[in-house]
Amino acid sequence: MEELNLLKKLERVKAPPDFEQKVLEQLSFRKGKQVRVKHLRLSLAGAFGALAVIFIIINIFILPQRGPVEFSAIEKGISPDFPIGKRMMQREIIPIIESVDYAGEIQNLRREPPTIYILEQVSERTDIRIKY
Amino acid sequence: MQRFREKESLKKVRMEEQELIRQVQEGDEMAFSKIVRIYKDKIVNFLWHLTGDYEKAVELGQETFMRVYFKAYRYKPIAPLSSWIYTIASNLAKTEMKKMRKYFVVSLEDIQNKYAEGIVFTENPANSELIKNVRRAISSLHPRYRIPIILKDIEGFSQEEIAQILQKPLGTIKARISRGRNYLRKELEEGSFKINLS
Repeated sequence: MEELNLLKKLERVKAPPDFEQKVLEQLSFRKGKQVRVKHLRLSLAGAFGALAVIFIIINIFILPQRGPVEFSAIEKGISPDFPIGKRMMQREIIPIIESVDYAGEIQNLRREPPTIYILEQVSERTDIRIKY
Repeated sequence: MQRFREKESLKKVRMEEQELIRQVQEGDEMAFSKIVRIYKDKIVNFLWHLTGDYEKAVELGQETFMRVYFKAYRYKPIAPLSSWIYTIASNLAKTEMKKMRKYFVVSLEDIQNKYAEGIVFTENPANSELIKNVRRAISSLHPRYRIPIILKDIEGFSQEEIAQILQKPLGTIKARISRGRNYLRKELEEGSFKINLS
């Protein structure tokens, strides 16, 4: 057990005299840093929030509102927003949109004998494709 | 009777410390300053024995107290404040030693010579060959054994307190202290230092 006594005899060191002062300096520095980081986080969150609000405002109040017919026209390429659509509008071609009740059709199918529906393109124009 | 008095005084100290840390949790810098004053020498000494580098020990000591302040909300009064502070210090030292890959290569003597001018000793450093060899033997220990041995034989903690500090089972701590001491004894008696303990 001799070596244990030797361990107790080992010299001890002290903290340098300015240790406490340095710790307190570092403390105030880190506190300041924490506050800065907090402010930065808040301002970033605020900026993102403001961007989101601007985006919503632009979408609701500034951009033109389109209904289902207009969207359908855009999909078919006959919207007046597109040059082809504009041309078509000028040629007085009236797009006919027919709404189909698929749920009803399928219900009726059950009662009917098996039927094969052949869908074919009826438009003469090649640049307008029917989507099935 | 004296034991009872010691126990009572220890209880009082712990109560005061609990009060101090409670104040720190509320952001009181004066209370924090008091904690720094109480523990600065102990922590720097512990870290010096652990790392073998006085400058590093001071740096880690400062970081330890920073964590005491900013993580004070995590402290639960189930363990003495000292155990919690030593836990922070030893974890920081372990991380630092891993970073520096200092395992097995620290020579306290070499480092002491390098930084001897800046070190503040509590008393005149013992320069006997035997003490130097003990320091060398400690520095050759793996931190797994070095930390419990320093806490037990230099800092004077009980095995239960060391188990709390290192967050390991008591059995593990007992085994590590025992193995570390055996290794130390072997190093001093038969090892490269060839010191005659008698």
